[in-house]
Amino acid sequence: MGCAAAHTVAVSPIGNLQPELTAAVCGAVERIFNLPTAVLPLMDSVDFAFDHTREQYHSTLILEKLASLAPPEAFKVLALVGVDLFIPILTYVYGEAQLGGRACVVSVHRLDEGLATAVQKALLPARVAKEAAHELAHTFDLRHCKDPACIMHYCRSIRDVDRKSDRLCRYCRTLLNDELKRTGR
Amino acid sequence: MDRIKILIVDDELIMRESLGAWLERDGYAVTTAESGESALALLKDTLFDIVFLDIKMEGMSGLEVLEQVKQSDPEVEVVMITAYGSISTAIEAMKKGAFDYLLKPFDPDALGVLIDRIISHRRQTRENQFLRQQAREHARFESLIGQSAPMQQVFSLIRDVAPTGSTVLISGETGTGKGLVAKAIHTHSDRCEGPFVVVNCGAIPEHLMESELFGYEKGAFTDAKETKKGRLELAHGGTLFLDEIGEISMRMQIDLLRILEDRIFYRVGGTRPIEAEFRVIAATNRDLGEAIRQRRFREDLYYRLNVVAFKMPPLRERKEDIPLLADHFLQQFARETNRAVNRISRAAIDEMMLYEWPGNVRELENAIERAVVVGKGTSIEPHDLPISSAVCAEVAADKSLAEMERMHIVAVLSENAWNIARSARILGIDRSTLYSKIKRYQIRK
Repeated sequence: MGCAAAHTVAVSPIGNLQPELTAAVCGAVERIFNLPTAVLPLMDSVDFAFDHTREQYHSTLILEKLASLAPPEAFKVLALVGVDLFIPILTYVYGEAQLGGRACVVSVHRLDEGLATAVQKALLPARVAKEAAHELAHTFDLRHCKDPACIMHYCRSIRDVDRKSDRLCRYCRTLLNDELKRTGR
Repeated sequence: MDRIKILIVDDELIMRESLGAWLERDGYAVTTAESGESALALLKDTLFDIVFLDIKMEGMSGLEVLEQVKQSDPEVEVVMITAYGSISTAIEAMKKGAFDYLLKPFDPDALGVLIDRIISHRRQTRENQFLRQQAREHARFESLIGQSAPMQQVFSLIRDVAPTGSTVLISGETGTGKGLVAKAIHTHSDRCEGPFVVVNCGAIPEHLMESELFGYEKGAFTDAKETKKGRLELAHGGTLFLDEIGEISMRMQIDLLRILEDRIFYRVGGTRPIEAEFRVIAATNRDLGEAIRQRRFREDLYYRLNVVAFKMPPLRERKEDIPLLADHFLQQFARETNRAVNRISRAAIDEMMLYEWPGNVRELENAIERAVVVGKGTSIEPHDLPISSAVCAEVAADKSLAEMERMHIVAVLSENAWNIARSARILGIDRSTLYSKIKRYQIRK
């Protein structure tokens, strides 16, 4: 395993994903969380989480496996997948995180909604980076934020994702800093 | 602000966990229960804002739990969670008080929108409660209660008159709250720190009135073992309330007129003039104009007292205040007697609205006190009230023919549950005549 330090965030793309998405996620994590990242392919596929009835992938199962596979030196682990995710009670989720835990996962599947042209497709890395940072922040015990510009704002639609900034509001920033301090990072 | 508290009740662990985790991330304080029984146990100790309740569970069904939840806390909002096959049950649940239902699996947007809707609904409900509370406060002035136009005019006049120091004459039937108006004027005046001295002119025998009002010097009469201040002197710096002023003798009226003019008097047996500075408020249930015509009351004293006139409306002329007053007395007596009674039934309110209340608010107060004490259940019912909307024999002698007719029609209608045909038959008139009389006398159900 190649995590340089114990405060590294392991970013794990699973499946056939464009490299620029992983790069965008790593960039966002380093900028927003001020933590180093390491790209680690922890799994080849998430087929084990496939639900034949719903024809979707159960994100909670992916999280559990991610947490079990994460190298001890990885502070947090963030998986990127291209498949459609769900939790049993909801029809779909953009991603899921262990609140105050170690693992989170983000799906690209629904984030390319409305991106038809090449120019539009350039928006995708930004969307994925925002949602990845959002899920990762949950692992630092941050909850959803009412500020529609904050990255922790819960987006009801893809337009909300585009509308919110790629930053934490000052309240969420303070909460994150407190958590980083508490964990000695 | 406290976080919104949500209880998830579902016998499937995976549902509890997935919904719980989702709501936790959304910032809510989430508790989960695996059965209706454990949910009800949790609800005994904790006030939740929202309950997500699965319809189909082992043991108690969602509907059974819903009924008990709404019984224990009517303000909690319950969202039923249902599978595709049990939508009809979910709709039945909404009839039983559930806020809404969600068909699982549900769209995350729908969940978010629903929670926002519940929070907004609860905020609205609380604002309404606050506004109702404010309206109740508005309907009160000191111990006076009433939201009717006549009472609001009384409150307004009290506010205007209290700071002026003017002499006030309050007229009105027995039990309309004349004493409370006098006290409210005193409380809202600059003299509120001073004494409020009551003289019940109707209760003090004439031969004692002089010494009661003016006091006496030691040895003034056989029993005058020591000097005693009279009530005029005791009222110095405050308010003198002369209740039942229409009952005082002509002789005392002359003394009172003199005192009101120069504010100087002598104790019985005394030679030293005593000055006292007080405001005078007088009250009467008599028609002083008629008493003047009959030469039983001095006209000059009347004008001296009647600087500002208050006319207290009888309760039958402000019947819209009856539910408010009745509820106030119910709360007061239930608290004082520690009884479980907490509401007045619609039928009892109807009965009270039909009754003429010759004893006014005081009679209503006594009626509710009795009902609280003798009532068996948690609700006051018509049979708990010591009143009958039937003709009130003791007041019949004072009534005009039209008033008697109105009261009799009200009584017959009430006795026959507003069955027009039967009431008309008993009254010996046809239905159209009864309808026209109901309209003419403005009789309301």
